[in-house]
Amino acid sequence: MSRVEVINGNMAAALAARLSRPEVIAAYPITPQTPVVEYLTQFHADGALGCQMSEVESEHSAMSILTGASLTGVRCYTATSSQGLALMYEPYFRASTLRLPIVMNIVNREMISPQTVWGGPQDSLTLRDAGWIQLYVEDNQEILDTTIQAFKISEDPDVLLPINICYDGFYLSHMTERVEVPEQAEVDAFLPPYRSRHIILDPDQPMAVDPLTNGNLLMEYRRKHMAAQQSALAVIERVDSEYAAAFGRSWGGLVDQYRAEDAEYLIVSMGSVCGAIKEAVDTMRGRGVRIGLLKIRSLRPFPRKAVLAALEGKKGFGVIDRNVSFGTGTGILYQEVRAALYSAGARFPAASFIGGLGGEDLTLELVASALECTVETVKAGKTDEAARWLVRAKKGEGR
Amino acid sequence: MTVLDRLATSQDLISPGISACVGCNVELTLRTVLKVLGPNTVLAIPPGCMGGVGVVGWDKESGAKVPVFFPLLDNTASMLAGIKLGFKARGREVNVVAFAGDGATVDAGFQALSGAAERGDRIIYICYDNEGYMNTGYQRSSSTSKGSWTSTTPVSAEGRGGKSQHRKDFPLIMAMHDLPYVATASPAYIPDLVHKLERAMEVKEGLAYIHVYNPCLTGWGIKPEESIAVSRLSVQSRFFPLWEARGRKLRLTVRVDKPVPLKEYIGRIHKFRHLDEERIDELQKLAYERYRFVEEMERMGSESDGQAS
Repeated sequence: MSRVEVINGNMAAALAARLSRPEVIAAYPITPQTPVVEYLTQFHADGALGCQMSEVESEHSAMSILTGASLTGVRCYTATSSQGLALMYEPYFRASTLRLPIVMNIVNREMISPQTVWGGPQDSLTLRDAGWIQLYVEDNQEILDTTIQAFKISEDPDVLLPINICYDGFYLSHMTERVEVPEQAEVDAFLPPYRSRHIILDPDQPMAVDPLTNGNLLMEYRRKHMAAQQSALAVIERVDSEYAAAFGRSWGGLVDQYRAEDAEYLIVSMGSVCGAIKEAVDTMRGRGVRIGLLKIRSLRPFPRKAVLAALEGKKGFGVIDRNVSFGTGTGILYQEVRAALYSAGARFPAASFIGGLGGEDLTLELVASALECTVETVKAGKTDEAARWLVRAKKGEGR
Repeated sequence: MTVLDRLATSQDLISPGISACVGCNVELTLRTVLKVLGPNTVLAIPPGCMGGVGVVGWDKESGAKVPVFFPLLDNTASMLAGIKLGFKARGREVNVVAFAGDGATVDAGFQALSGAAERGDRIIYICYDNEGYMNTGYQRSSSTSKGSWTSTTPVSAEGRGGKSQHRKDFPLIMAMHDLPYVATASPAYIPDLVHKLERAMEVKEGLAYIHVYNPCLTGWGIKPEESIAVSRLSVQSRFFPLWEARGRKLRLTVRVDKPVPLKEYIGRIHKFRHLDEERIDELQKLAYERYRFVEEMERMGSESDGQAS
C-alpha cells in the first residue's frame, strides 16, 4: 500500500530516485535543486539509499561520473538546474551520443543574465536538441510518478537514451503538495534491475569505447540515435499505461488534455502553469466559450501525431511559452507546434505568448487575458509571427 | 628476475603498429605502464598524443587489448571515478587508470582531477608531461617551460619571445592534496617507474598520481636517437627531480649530487636555441630552487618521523 505524504517537489524527486534503486548517484547542489542533494545525502547517511554516492566539485564532474559509471552497466541518477546544466553541457551531450540511460531531474531555472535564481524552463529547453528525452511535468505527484517511469523508458532496449524529467523551480521544487508515495516492493515489481547489453567497459569483455570514428560511421550512429528518439514515443505511452495498471495513475504519456475534446480553441503549454490555465479554461467555459488545454509532456521526442490529433477540428490555438527562442520572435513551444502542423499541411490561426520568465508570476489574470486574446486572434483568422508578452503592470504605471 | 626481465616477458597490451613519432618515449612509457598494470585494467586516454596515434582505436579497431576509451579533455578523473564507483557497486576490483597528457591534466582537466583527489576516488592517474599540446603541433600549456618556443608563444627573427611564464610544479600541487601516493618518473629510469607503478597499485584508499616527464622529439626538436639521453639529462641536471611521496612524507628516489649544467640539457633541444645566457641562467636557478625545495621537504618528512618516535 502506498502512503500519503505532504512534500515538496524536490522531495518527490528524491523519493522517486531512491525507490528506483540507482547504483551510482553524483550530484552538485544548485538553487533550486539543492534540497534534492541534501535529501539524498541524508538518505545515504541514514543507510537508506543503498547506492554509491559522490559529492562532486561541479556539475561537469557529476555528469562525467555518471557517464563513467553507466559505462560499467549500472543504473545512475542525478539532478541539476540552469547554470549547472550549462556547465555540464559537454558531458550532457556525450551521455546521449554514447546512448547511456541516465536519469536526471532538471529543476527548471531561468538562465542568466540578468542575475536570477528563479524559475523558468529556458535551461533545459535550450538543450532540446542534445539527444536526451525531455519530459515536463505539472505537479509533485507527477514528478514522483514520472521520475520512476523515466528509468523504465530510458533503459528500454528500443530506447537506450538518457532522460530528463523537468519541473519548475520554486513553483514545484519548494511547494508542498499531497503526494502518494508507493511502497518499495511495488516499485521493484514495476522496474526490473538494469543490465547493459550495448556498451560496456569491462576487462572480461574488452572493448574500445569511442575510437576515432569517420563521418560515414558517425552518421550511422546519428541515424540510429534519431530512430531511438522516435521509438521512445511508443515506449513513453506504454510505460505510462503500465504505471497506471500498477499504481492507478496515468499522466497521459506524451501529452495530456483538459476539456479539449469538444473545444473550438486550444491553449498549448507545459509545466506548472497548466494549473492556472485549467482554472482559466473553467472560467471561460462558464461563459460558454469552448476552450481547452493541450499539455505537452514530451518535448523530446516531440509528439507530432498526438499534437495533430488534438488539434484536429479546432478553429485555432494559442501557445503560452515560459521561455524565448532568440531569433524567431516567439517562444520555443510555439515554433515546435507550428513545425508539427506544417508536416501535415495543416494551417491554423494561432496566437503566441511569452510570460513567466525568471520566476515572474503568470497570474490567473494574465493567463485569462491570453485565453481571451487567443479567441480573438483565431476569430480574426490571424497567425502571430511575434509573441505577445504577458507582463504584470509595474508600480506607478497605472495599468 | 630483474625488472627488465619481467617487462620482457610481460604481455604487451597496446596494439602493435600505433603511429607514434619515431623514438617517442611516451609510447615506451605507455607500453611499460600497461605491462605492469596487466589485463585487469580499464584505460582512459583523453585527447592528446596517445589518442591521436590510435591507442583508443580507429573506427571499429581497438588500439589496446584492455577496455579503453576517450574521456573528454577535461573530465578524465571524474569519468574514471564513476567507473570505479560502478565496479564498487557490483563488488568488483579493477585497476582504473588514466594515461593523460599535460593539457588534459594540468590545464583543462585540473578541476576534475583535484576534485577526485580530494574525494579520495580510488583511481591511478598517470600524466605524461611533454610540456604542451604536441598532438596538434605544439601549443603552449601551463606545463611549458619559460622561454620555450611553441606555436602559440612564437619567437621573432631576433630571438625575442617564447613563453614568458615558468611551468607550474604540478606533481607538488598534487602532493599537497595529501594523497596516499604521488611520484614523478622518467622514461630514462624504467626500473624506478616500475617501482612507482607497483606502489600506486598497492594503494587501498584514495587516488595515486604519477607524473612522467617526457621530452617530445618532434615538438621540442630533439634527435630521435637522443630520446632517452635527453630524458636522462632532464633528471641529471636537476630540472625534473624524481621522488615519491606518501602524504607529505617525500623521498627522492634518484639523488643528483653532482648535477650536469642545465646548458647541456637545453643545448640539445631546438625550442630553446634562441635563449641567451641570462635566460638560461634563470632556468638554471629555477631548477636548483625546485630541487632544493624537494630536498627540504624530504628533510622535514624525516624530522617529523624522528619527533613521532
